[in-house]
Amino acid sequence: MEPDYNKLKKRSAYPFETVAVAIAFSPRLEAILMETKRMVSMFGSQLVIIHVGKKDEHHEEVLDKLMNKIGFAKIKFRVIWMEGEPIDTILKLCKLNVVDLLVLGALEKENLYKYYVGSIARTISRRAKCSVLLLTNPSINPKKMRKIVVNGIDNPKTINTLKATHYLAKNEKIADFTVVQEVNTPLLSMTIAESGTEPEVSKIKKEMQEEDFSKLNTLINSIDRQGINIDLKIVKGKPGYAISNFARQHHYDLIVFNSPDTHLGIFDRIFTHDIEYVLADMPCNLLIVHSRV
Amino acid sequence: MNVISHHDLVVLLIGMASMLILSRIASELARSIKFPVVMGEIIIGIILGPTILGNFAPEVSAYMFPVSGNATIALNGITMVAVIMMLFVAGMEVQLPVVLKQGKAAVLTSTLSMIIPFALGFVTAWYYPQWFGITNEFKLLFALFFGTALSISALPVIARILIDMGLFKTKIGMIIIASAMFNDLLGWLIFSFILSSMDTTNSGNEFTYTIVYIIGFGLFMLTIGRKILDKIMPWMQQKLSWPGGVLSISLGICFLSAAFTESIGIHAILGAFIAGIAIGDSVHLKEKAREIIYQFVTNIFAPLFFVSIGLKVNFIENFNGSLVLLVLVVAYVGKVSGASLGAHFGGFNRKESLAIGFGMNARGAMEIILGTLALQAGLINETVFVALVIMALVTSLTSGPMMRLFLDQSYFNNTKQIENN
Repeated sequence: MEPDYNKLKKRSAYPFETVAVAIAFSPRLEAILMETKRMVSMFGSQLVIIHVGKKDEHHEEVLDKLMNKIGFAKIKFRVIWMEGEPIDTILKLCKLNVVDLLVLGALEKENLYKYYVGSIARTISRRAKCSVLLLTNPSINPKKMRKIVVNGIDNPKTINTLKATHYLAKNEKIADFTVVQEVNTPLLSMTIAESGTEPEVSKIKKEMQEEDFSKLNTLINSIDRQGINIDLKIVKGKPGYAISNFARQHHYDLIVFNSPDTHLGIFDRIFTHDIEYVLADMPCNLLIVHSRV
Repeated sequence: MNVISHHDLVVLLIGMASMLILSRIASELARSIKFPVVMGEIIIGIILGPTILGNFAPEVSAYMFPVSGNATIALNGITMVAVIMMLFVAGMEVQLPVVLKQGKAAVLTSTLSMIIPFALGFVTAWYYPQWFGITNEFKLLFALFFGTALSISALPVIARILIDMGLFKTKIGMIIIASAMFNDLLGWLIFSFILSSMDTTNSGNEFTYTIVYIIGFGLFMLTIGRKILDKIMPWMQQKLSWPGGVLSISLGICFLSAAFTESIGIHAILGAFIAGIAIGDSVHLKEKAREIIYQFVTNIFAPLFFVSIGLKVNFIENFNGSLVLLVLVVAYVGKVSGASLGAHFGGFNRKESLAIGFGMNARGAMEIILGTLALQAGLINETVFVALVIMALVTSLTSGPMMRLFLDQSYFNNTKQIENN
């Protein structure tokens, strides 16, 4: 059956009415399900559990036992078993079931071959038409996310990402989150090295920074904060790498990005796209918000 | 061991001092009237060289800038190193992720702003080589060169214009910058191939080897080489003295890479350019280190190179009005139409597309470097070289005003309004 794309078009990035989790019968299965249960309970969502593979008695029994142990009784959920190519099947099932948030387990760092060729979780996160949450260290005793940092890139999608993060922060009952603006002007340095005086150089840099800062500030002020404080920080460095480094240094629990504007391919890994810096070596959990705009 | 004599050393030092001091004064004057600084440097070269000083005070000119001898050899060596370092810095400007990030509009603009001027230049040179004083032996290489010379852009000049117009971070600005980066990358790859081909006999095998070497080296440096450099950069910045360590190792890598490409039959400039891309792309390269490298190269080596151009060529004797006009017309038509069409297909309206076309038309210092290397390799004569230098300066001077003509006040107001909303 072909997905009804009209249901997806212009659908808001939040609330997360339908959450899906893609599972493999790996040692981390219990932890991923525990984390998902916490999310689903928090957002009041319905849950879709996806397993790409053959439905057999053994696996069904393992899953049933685990679900009973975790206590999914009070949660509205469905389990979908489907055979096929994992990435395409998961993406198709997400569209068919109008999934708002897909939860996946992911290693912090893939080996070089897997990174370039593409692991399942990372490839899905690049191609999904819904928001994706990659959990690097899922735990059987999940904790709430206390420190959240959002990439405040100058992009039309950013407002939706900020609002989705605000929604998440409100549900997590945290008092604040951080928005990072990355400042990177290599071409500017070269240009003014050739034809600029010291005060002129400082003035140009300051003006550009202030313009960006004020734009992002206006965006943040347009959000109905409902008591949640949004802290704006400027970090110097290459887009993607700078925020990733910042999240690692300050021990953030979650880093939030816009979904990529274009379909990311191998060239974006070789000539690293912003989000690929995070995917290459994840400093913490990663939420990619798909704005569907 | 051959050592430079006391007299030659004095001559070399006086020559370099006059080149640096006078070009600085001229550059400051050029900057104060919003002209490209390279214009001031070229003019000082013309004044100190055979065009003016050599004509009016030949003894002074012969003393300061002799045409032969150890001082001349030393100065030529310094200017060659300067070209290599300028190409290294040009490579550092190329940010391939920026090109990829701009999507369809940048792909179309950069491709058409390369293909159309290249085709126009190639066809003109191929069918009318006599206009350029080219013999049939070099007809193909010259046609390839002329096409490349028309497709290249001058990123620093373009970036400066965009900063002055407040367009640096707008959609138009990013498209122009991304497309100019792509033009530079492809332009220098093609030009390296042309220069390498000058040294080989025209056997099919050697052409094939040259292409394989260039592609192989480029791919290696931009993938594995880039990753290795990115890994060693933090170590360099933490363990070596700052910023001296980064500066000397970076330039050392530039020279090694240039030496490698030169030794395998590809020109040294390609090695330097690709090393620049690989080092400039490192996430660990601090902004301050980047600035120091830029300052060092653009304020010491670049003036020496640009002034030396005027020392070698008589700009009055080699001025050919009709050739200059022809080069200008072909350059404007090719670049403006190519870039504008690309931008239009990429979704910009007519006025914005034309502004992008004129923005990308600035050739600046890159064109002059390209012309100088072609002149040194014997690919072009001095008359064609003078026409190219004039074209580079005129296109750089007219880019800003022409962009303003198409992006009237209403455009800037609309942009601000959209941003505010």
